[in-house]
Amino acid sequence: MDIRTRERGEVVIFDIQGEIRRSDISDATLHQLVKNRLDAGKRNILLNFEKVEFIDSFGVGEILASYISTQNLGGKFKLAKISKKLFLIFQVTMLTKVLEIHENEDLAFKSFFKS
Amino acid sequence: MTENRLYEFLSRFVDIRPPEARVSLLLFLYLFLITFPAYIIKPVKESLLQASFSPQWYPLASLLTAVLIGFVVSWNAKLLNRLPRRLYISSTLVFFIISLFLFRLLLTFNWEGLRLIYWFWSDVFIATSVTQFWIAVNDIYNPHQAKRLVGFFVSGGILGGICGALLALILPKLIHTENLLLICPALLILTLAVVNLLYREHPEERDGPARPRERGRSKSGYLESFRVVRRSRYLVLLACSLASATIVSGVIQQQFLTITRAFFPDKDERTSFNGAFLVGLLVFSYLLNLLITTRILKKSGIKTALLIAPVFLLLGSAAVFLVPAALMLGWAVMVKGGEKSFENTLSQSVRELLYIPVPANIKYKAKTFIDMFVNKFASGLGALLILFILNVLQVGYQQLSFMAVVFAIIWIGLIRLIYGEYINIVKSDLERKWENGDTIVDEHVDVDMTRLVFDTIQSREKSSVLYAMNLFDLLRKEKLTPELKEIIACKEDELRAKSMGCLLDVGGETFYPEMEDALAEADVKAEIEEILTLDSYKKVMEDHLEKTVQDGQGESTVTRMEAAKVIGMMGPTPSAVRNLRRLLQDESAEVLTYALESAGRLRKKELVPLIIRHLGNPQMQQLAGDTLASYGVKVIGALREILQKRDENLEVRRAVPEVLFRIGTQKAADVLSTELGRGDERTESEVIEALFKLKSKETTVQFKGEKILEAALLQIKKGYQGVLEQNTPPPAADQIVMTAEVNNRLVLRIQKIFELLSLIYPLEDMVKAYQNLCVGTKKAIDYSLELMDNILNKDLKQYLFPLIEDLPVEERIRRCRRLAKGLEKLAP
Repeated sequence: MDIRTRERGEVVIFDIQGEIRRSDISDATLHQLVKNRLDAGKRNILLNFEKVEFIDSFGVGEILASYISTQNLGGKFKLAKISKKLFLIFQVTMLTKVLEIHENEDLAFKSFFKS
Repeated sequence: MTENRLYEFLSRFVDIRPPEARVSLLLFLYLFLITFPAYIIKPVKESLLQASFSPQWYPLASLLTAVLIGFVVSWNAKLLNRLPRRLYISSTLVFFIISLFLFRLLLTFNWEGLRLIYWFWSDVFIATSVTQFWIAVNDIYNPHQAKRLVGFFVSGGILGGICGALLALILPKLIHTENLLLICPALLILTLAVVNLLYREHPEERDGPARPRERGRSKSGYLESFRVVRRSRYLVLLACSLASATIVSGVIQQQFLTITRAFFPDKDERTSFNGAFLVGLLVFSYLLNLLITTRILKKSGIKTALLIAPVFLLLGSAAVFLVPAALMLGWAVMVKGGEKSFENTLSQSVRELLYIPVPANIKYKAKTFIDMFVNKFASGLGALLILFILNVLQVGYQQLSFMAVVFAIIWIGLIRLIYGEYINIVKSDLERKWENGDTIVDEHVDVDMTRLVFDTIQSREKSSVLYAMNLFDLLRKEKLTPELKEIIACKEDELRAKSMGCLLDVGGETFYPEMEDALAEADVKAEIEEILTLDSYKKVMEDHLEKTVQDGQGESTVTRMEAAKVIGMMGPTPSAVRNLRRLLQDESAEVLTYALESAGRLRKKELVPLIIRHLGNPQMQQLAGDTLASYGVKVIGALREILQKRDENLEVRRAVPEVLFRIGTQKAADVLSTELGRGDERTESEVIEALFKLKSKETTVQFKGEKILEAALLQIKKGYQGVLEQNTPPPAADQIVMTAEVNNRLVLRIQKIFELLSLIYPLEDMVKAYQNLCVGTKKAIDYSLELMDNILNKDLKQYLFPLIEDLPVEERIRRCRRLAKGLEKLAP
């Protein structure tokens, strides 16, 4: 898994690449990276899954932990371009009702500024 | 005498139904008219033999019959199989009439060989005519009818015997022994008339032999009769039992002859004693039959009736060693008198009853073979054994009792086996008329799955999330078959047609195409299962649910449905249970449906009172019951409390027994049994039904016999009250009423009684008996009654039968009134 962080205006975008698996645990997990940004005062977090091939339950746990941390600090947390399969998993687990999911980065970005 | 008057007259002496009166009288006359000449022919036979041969040759006459009877059986079996019944019996009677004239004519020539032939002929006459009479009874009546009426017929036979024996005693001095034979044709001509009247009442199409087309194919004759008997364990047992009885009878006869010869050396004194003994025996038999036969058959059943004779003879034969020589004549009269009296009454009657449930196609072949051949063969075998014991072993007549004791023990053992087979044969004549509806549904329909499929299809149009969750549930339960996917896909196509794209958007909801296939992938399924257990997932969902559910009715119904569904998937966290409690009180039936399903998954005790409440809601009752049943034994205590609370909502209480049935454990059965004992009429019906269903489903569950018996007697008592309440104080015969309403209530009461009886008696027997009583043919109804008569306990059947027997209304009321007091003591 490779995660690159960039900022677009007030939104911190995490471009995730590869697979998010329990077996690929590195020093900096997704949640850790998101927390670092939150600690730095950022409150708008967007995870871009455009180049993610696979995500397991551990990966979902990382997303949810990041969501909780962002919510706790009153921030906004959004997802973009997730795979059909992950969307389906989110539907079955009702996470589509909790997480804000957008079809692409632009739509997600714009949604940060809608009231 | 009109039919009705005849019934009224006969009903004073015998337990008879109006349609049976005329035929029963004819059968009474039939047996009277063949026994009458039989008791003339028999003494003539013995007298002629005694006049021509010395005593040591007497057994040879029996051996002659044993050897030759096989030919007669073979010929008789052919006639029986080929001729219509009326013609078969009539032609045989004509043969006997003609041969009687011939014998009278030829006996003037004083040929010794002819006397032996006459001996054999008279054995054939007695065996054939009596067998034919019982064939007629078998043609016309079923076991239950015959059991009521057999005593009546036998009394006709004994009266005939008394008349014949009296003539044989008085007339020889006036008209000579040989001329006695001329009385017999007149009696047999009358028999001929009775037989023809009888079969006019009961046409042969119903009960006669095989129809013409079948006759050609059907085998007959001695060998075939032998094969028929050999193929059936029951018939083999019957044959062995009769053989044992015949051998015991032979021993007793030998002992009797020896003792009377010793006590009465003078021939005339001996003849006089024999005549007096015969008349006394028949009078005693008549009284015995009048007082005991029907009573024993009705009250104690076939088994007791079968056992009385061999037990008596076993004890009587053994007693010979205790009796002083001076009292030996008394012993001989008692044992021989007892043996013949039982043979004339109880033993013969019961033996004939045992043939009735045998299938008609083999019954008659077997019956003639056993009654004629086996009987005479056993008699010959017994004679050989006696000759061996007396002449080779050279022991006295007392020691012959050892032989009688051995064969009486064999006889008793055979009776035990016969009785078991008899019940099986009666059962095999009954078939189930319908299957229990619940059982069929349970076997063929997975109600939970069906509900889930409907939920899935319905949710498709409401919420993609709900749909996905339902689909996942189907997958989890491994119920998403290709056929089911096809059904669901039809609905999906409609939706897909509305919008195209990678993720479809229908009515604001986003759908994922081929969702079913994607979900079926093993890794997806596993991932979802794991996500549901994540702490982070639970935290996120709990927060979401707190908001959604707390807002309560503010949120849309669909949102609350989703919330209710997901709680069941995520597991029993305190927050989930708290939120589910709220959802279980939701106003929407759709939300409640999902909430109850989830409650069934979480199975938390604190949810039980809320679920129980829904048992009173007709719309939710079934699902609430399912939910509670899924708790299993944990919920039994709560259900018991509700069931016992008299002030609880009655609909809720009435729904509880069904839940206990579905839990289906011994504890659930005990709660239901206890509630039954409390005698709450308002829930009684549901409790009994639940107990019955429980017994049908869980064969290992045990019920307390005494409690159930008490409850059954209580139901019988209520049945009596129903019958009597409209007729108290006793009205005049023409004012007796039995309204449709009373009758309907009685029908329901009988159903309850049978449901209770199935808890303590074999379920299948009770179900068959009940169903055949309800919708069976006349014959099936009587077979049901016969089955009940043989398996129920004495008290129970005594009180139950007035409710289930096909009785005239006034007779039912009369019996209920007579038995009501006794019942009151048993079921206060």
